[in-house]
Amino acid sequence: MITTAVIARQHLRLLSRSQTFLLMLVVLLGMTALSGFIGWSSHATILRVYDETVKTLTAAGKPVPPNPFAYKPRLSLLNNMIIYVPLIGALLAIVIGNMSITGDRQAGVTRVIFSRPVLRSSYFWGKVAGSAVAGAVIMAACLLLSVIGLTLINHGPPTASELVRLTAFYALSGLYLLLFTLIGIVAALLTSSQSLGLFAAVAVWALITFATPQFTSGLRPVASLNPITDPVSVSHSRFFRATSKAKPIAVNEQYKALSSRLLSQGNDVLGAGAGKTATQLAPILFFVLLLGGWAHRLIARRDFSEETARD
Amino acid sequence: MTRRHRSNVLTLAGHEYRSAARSGVLVLLILSMVVVTAGAITIASFDFRAQIADYAAYIAQAKAAGATVTAPPLFFPLQLLRPVFEYIQIIGAVIAIGLGYLSVARERSGNTLPLILTRPVRGRELFLGRLLGATALISTILVVTAVISVLLIGLVGGRWLSGAELIKVAITFGTAVIYMLLFYALGTWLSARSKVVANGLVVALVIWLSVVLIIPQIGDTMDPDNQVPGGLFAALQVQKPDEKKVLAHFTTYETIRNTLEESSLTKHYERLTFAVTGIKDKYNGKSLGTIAHAKRADIESIVLYMALMSCLMWLGLRRENATRKDTR
Repeated sequence: MITTAVIARQHLRLLSRSQTFLLMLVVLLGMTALSGFIGWSSHATILRVYDETVKTLTAAGKPVPPNPFAYKPRLSLLNNMIIYVPLIGALLAIVIGNMSITGDRQAGVTRVIFSRPVLRSSYFWGKVAGSAVAGAVIMAACLLLSVIGLTLINHGPPTASELVRLTAFYALSGLYLLLFTLIGIVAALLTSSQSLGLFAAVAVWALITFATPQFTSGLRPVASLNPITDPVSVSHSRFFRATSKAKPIAVNEQYKALSSRLLSQGNDVLGAGAGKTATQLAPILFFVLLLGGWAHRLIARRDFSEETARD
Repeated sequence: MTRRHRSNVLTLAGHEYRSAARSGVLVLLILSMVVVTAGAITIASFDFRAQIADYAAYIAQAKAAGATVTAPPLFFPLQLLRPVFEYIQIIGAVIAIGLGYLSVARERSGNTLPLILTRPVRGRELFLGRLLGATALISTILVVTAVISVLLIGLVGGRWLSGAELIKVAITFGTAVIYMLLFYALGTWLSARSKVVANGLVVALVIWLSVVLIIPQIGDTMDPDNQVPGGLFAALQVQKPDEKKVLAHFTTYETIRNTLEESSLTKHYERLTFAVTGIKDKYNGKSLGTIAHAKRADIESIVLYMALMSCLMWLGLRRENATRKDTR
């Protein structure tokens, strides 16, 4: 237990000394702020457009339709985060995962560590715990910024229910990022060079983020970047009716769907719809456990005594 | 440039290419691009066939009911390439940034740069050598992708491309090489500027996200008519003349939105390639001259970005050379 904590602390120190952690924190906080700003700006504009439309229609003596944005959920202002986390967040998580293994190899730290009576599983848990703490700190900071932003935009703090859903959203995002950290770790352990490990993980990221949604939902790569794009606009041919059966195991789609429910729907997500929530969460948890087990096995079997990472 | 300088540039370019090939990175990148593009074209082809089958079923039903039928879906083979260009837009840019980062990281961890600098090699030769090596690497990846794409359109899509269509494919993939080189230059510049090379990669990825996603998305997301499925004005049942009257009050907002969209390199690349291949319907069947004339603003912007990124890469490498020389 103590060894695990020491390795986790060493991993966190490596990240903070190289300023990589600070940089990632700044990037994700910037994305959170930007997401709130874009949400607020487009929402405020739409309301002004509606007001102008009402004036124009009233002047022409035409009937005024109801405001389509009147009942828009307040948390949906952060909808862009659903896109930013799988893109930049996942890539940064891969960099953290890759650095956690190759950084030690390049500096010759693994040889020093394993010259001591350190269990392989302690090393694995230390690395995972260090990465998880880094991710948790970043997500907690994003949560705090989101609360401040929503309070300013909505002229009042979020309700208890909104706070719970927002916390659940960032916890889910943290879990999703852990999945990509593990992909970075596994790819680094499977390859002898840092570059190959990094690119292999990026290739997996591309498959999960773009290729899978294209196969299961017919979403073109660019269409997957827009949280507003209505998936109804994509093809509903027999082909996609058949491939959509694979949707439940597509982690990116499940993350986006569950996040969207958390930010746009009421208490249904954690109450009456808890069963659906569990179904959407299951593939992400399954792959985290699978990759964790794989990384553990690779660390247990690898000969760290002579190798150094190559570029 | 003298023969010796040319030879130095070629040697350095060969070193760049061989390093990527030896480490297996080149094979991995080719495989990644081939897998996603082959998947994309195959999916698009099967979807089109399914649409035709659905249409046939609809015709049978309409005839039985004695109703009039609509026209069948049209097949333009180059339109199957749309997801391929989108993958280049997104993943191609990440790959190029990664190659730029690796080029610097490899020299730093292997300490090869101080060794190269003990030889009579000029900074300009180092810059051109790396650029040429990267051009060869990126071209290899994209040539394989293009060949696989053309073959799949023929084999799965069921239509072999004509000579004119092949020229259009060559032009768009040539543009893709330039597009990826710009991101390579960005990755090299930022990695060379960073004390910790991974931090340069992180900053480059943030810029990538801004250029590829945030700026184009601001254009889309902040468009009032994109806020409601089917369009805001359609939801409000507002006719076109009234819509124009309303939007006249938002000219400043629209100007900011359009300017942001115009500043994205990705948007210019997308507009040009979509026009050349006829993915944008209004350019379908138009001559290359007409398209070049209509898209001259996009071509000019890409050229402008080329000049800017070359300067930045040159400055980054000059700084890297000076720093590495001093530390030895």
